[in-house]
Amino acid sequence: MIPIRYNIRSLAVRKTTTFATAAGIALVVFVLAASQMLSNGIRNTLGRAGEPDHAIVLRKGSDNEMSSNLETKTINLIYAAPGVKRDEGGQPLGVSELQLVIALEKPGTGGQVSNVSVRGTTDNVLKYRNHVKIVAGRAIQPGADEAMIGTRLRGQFAGLDLGQSFEIKKNLKLKVVGIFEAQGSAQESEVWTDLEIVRSAFGREGLVSSVSVALESAAKFDAFRVAMESDKQLGLQAYSETAYYEKQSEGTAGLVTFLGGAIVFFFSVGAIIGAMITMYAAVSHRKREVGTLRALGFSRLTILFSFLLEAILLSLLGGIIGAAASLSMGLVHFSMMNFNSWSEVSFSFDPAPDIIISAIVLGGFMGILGGLFPAIQASRTSPVEAMRE
Amino acid sequence: MNLASIALKNTRRNLFRTVLTVIGVGVAMLAFLLIRTVLTAWLVSAEYAAQDRLATRHKVTFIMTLPKRYVEDIRKLPGIQGATWMNWFGAKLPGHEDAFFGTFAVDPQSFLEVYDEIVVPAEHKTKWIENRRGALVGAQTARQFGWKVGDKVILEGTIFPGQWEFIVEGIYSASRKSIDQQSFYFHWNYMNDSLPASQQEQIGWIASKVPDAGQAATLAKKIDELFEPRDIQTLSMSERAMNTSFLGMISTLLDAMQIVSIVILIIMMLILGNTIAMGVRERTREYGVLRAIGFLPKHLSTFILVEAGVLGLLGGGLGLLAGFFLINYGVGRVMEETFTGLFPYFRVATQDMVISMVLSVALAVIASIVPAYNASKLHVTDALRKLG
Repeated sequence: MIPIRYNIRSLAVRKTTTFATAAGIALVVFVLAASQMLSNGIRNTLGRAGEPDHAIVLRKGSDNEMSSNLETKTINLIYAAPGVKRDEGGQPLGVSELQLVIALEKPGTGGQVSNVSVRGTTDNVLKYRNHVKIVAGRAIQPGADEAMIGTRLRGQFAGLDLGQSFEIKKNLKLKVVGIFEAQGSAQESEVWTDLEIVRSAFGREGLVSSVSVALESAAKFDAFRVAMESDKQLGLQAYSETAYYEKQSEGTAGLVTFLGGAIVFFFSVGAIIGAMITMYAAVSHRKREVGTLRALGFSRLTILFSFLLEAILLSLLGGIIGAAASLSMGLVHFSMMNFNSWSEVSFSFDPAPDIIISAIVLGGFMGILGGLFPAIQASRTSPVEAMRE
Repeated sequence: MNLASIALKNTRRNLFRTVLTVIGVGVAMLAFLLIRTVLTAWLVSAEYAAQDRLATRHKVTFIMTLPKRYVEDIRKLPGIQGATWMNWFGAKLPGHEDAFFGTFAVDPQSFLEVYDEIVVPAEHKTKWIENRRGALVGAQTARQFGWKVGDKVILEGTIFPGQWEFIVEGIYSASRKSIDQQSFYFHWNYMNDSLPASQQEQIGWIASKVPDAGQAATLAKKIDELFEPRDIQTLSMSERAMNTSFLGMISTLLDAMQIVSIVILIIMMLILGNTIAMGVRERTREYGVLRAIGFLPKHLSTFILVEAGVLGLLGGGLGLLAGFFLINYGVGRVMEETFTGLFPYFRVATQDMVISMVLSVALAVIASIVPAYNASKLHVTDALRKLG
């Protein structure tokens, strides 16, 4: 076998060309990893809001909370359903909520407005969603004109920061008294306030969008769902929270995956061609060397393998640079409209080991594709002809 | 034989590499063109939106409704040439839940007056206005589901639950691009009468016609002032302004695509610069000879720059040709059919064609500046001494 050192030195000798080719591959790997990280981030952000042993009930036919309407009388029916967990006091553990979006001004854009998701909720919400933690200020008081906001909203909209206030209706201002974290989920881009305030501000007395309940265990969900959906008159539909939030992330994550995939496809073709040009040049440049190697007794297969290895080394170098650069995207927050709720949600680029590994593997694969034909050409070199050149 | 023809001949020296490079540049330009077209298509959807029609909605949240009497108040305002109202109905076709088309409850008579770019044959128009369960369907949606006038269509409500039965009474097309040809319009009364009393007489938004674009902002402000003292305040803006603000909400996505399109150009420059640099290295001795027989450094750099420009031109031309056919006859038609709301018009814009051609030549020349400069700096003796 030809020592790997030979290939490494060959790459080092032609620094500029090696760098240009590796940079091309690095960009492809970077874009692939970054778009995968973003769609992973979107899935995490939207999907992490739910828990497997919690269920959410909407009106049948509604895709999301905003288009769902439930009347107060059904709330108690849901709480009384089989499998619903009860707290120490024997009270069912659940929240009934009214969710909608309001337009607020974005600071520094000259009066442009964007949509923020507002959730009117019951006072046991922090007990129900125990992954939510107040990190500044305090929780809202029942019935007070107060709100608490997710940490990612801070400063993103006019009036949304601790101690500031914003208008949800003419002459009705809510004061931000608390900031909460929710393990990076989409709830960190929501405003939470008292259910009754939202109801009266928007003329929705007696209505809620959804009822969420904790179940005794995830296994109880099927029985709970049957109980909810068997009464056709009520027209209810139950989802496990995990399934519901995953469904909410489908559209936006799908769009990013699609766009990212299409871009990566074109980029890869470009980078493979780049690697091919480089490797063909390397082969023709070193024709005499290859002839010498053949004359020394190295087999065709060894030479093919050596050049292929060189191409893979070259592309792995690019792959590793690209993957390392993509990790820096973890620091970036990407604020975009969520197509399901029509409100702005802040996403992050979430790296995962499999994303990074698959991106580097793709880099190496591009090296194989780009290097195969040049390597075959090299292995066909006739020693006599090559040395005559 | 002039300098340029030597450069042209040089591209044929390593024909295989030239072909690969041209394909590489072509693919990059194709991707660039595709992204530019997506961006242009988005921006164009805002540009086509009407400037002389106002939309008035609930001030705080678009999911809340307005009282229907607001329509009459707007009609009385001086300067308003007509007003109509509608509700977003949000229904799906059973069996085709993923197919997206807008469903709207409208007041047929005033709707057709305000949206005068909607084209319906006169007889269909009267029949639709007369039939309370009649529907007016966009030509694209009708084609997609094979609907003809007289067909019965049942939709499943997502906001207003239940099965809703309609008769297709007309199929419309549009004389301007300010409205898509994909929506499903039906009688507002049909919906309103079927709702519980508490939800009746509520409307989603009001569309009103103003004499010209110049008066849109002033009249929008007048409307909002009119309702300021009432229970429910409004937010009015021209359809154009509304679309622009929608683009603002997805601006980060648009920015990300802009960045990606720049990255593509960098990849293109890397491929091209690499090819040129390799060619220069291989021809070092030859450049020594040329210098020795009296060619000046500027001649050498001209060879190299012209060669790069030719590669860029060929690659850009290939990408443009492929992109033009792919987008205008393939992807674009699919996009227009499936995402009409997002991309009513998905075609390569002339300006993007020009930009991509200019960029591919200009960037090719820029990518070869360093190799060209190095070649012009060569000492004749060094160049001649260089091996292989």
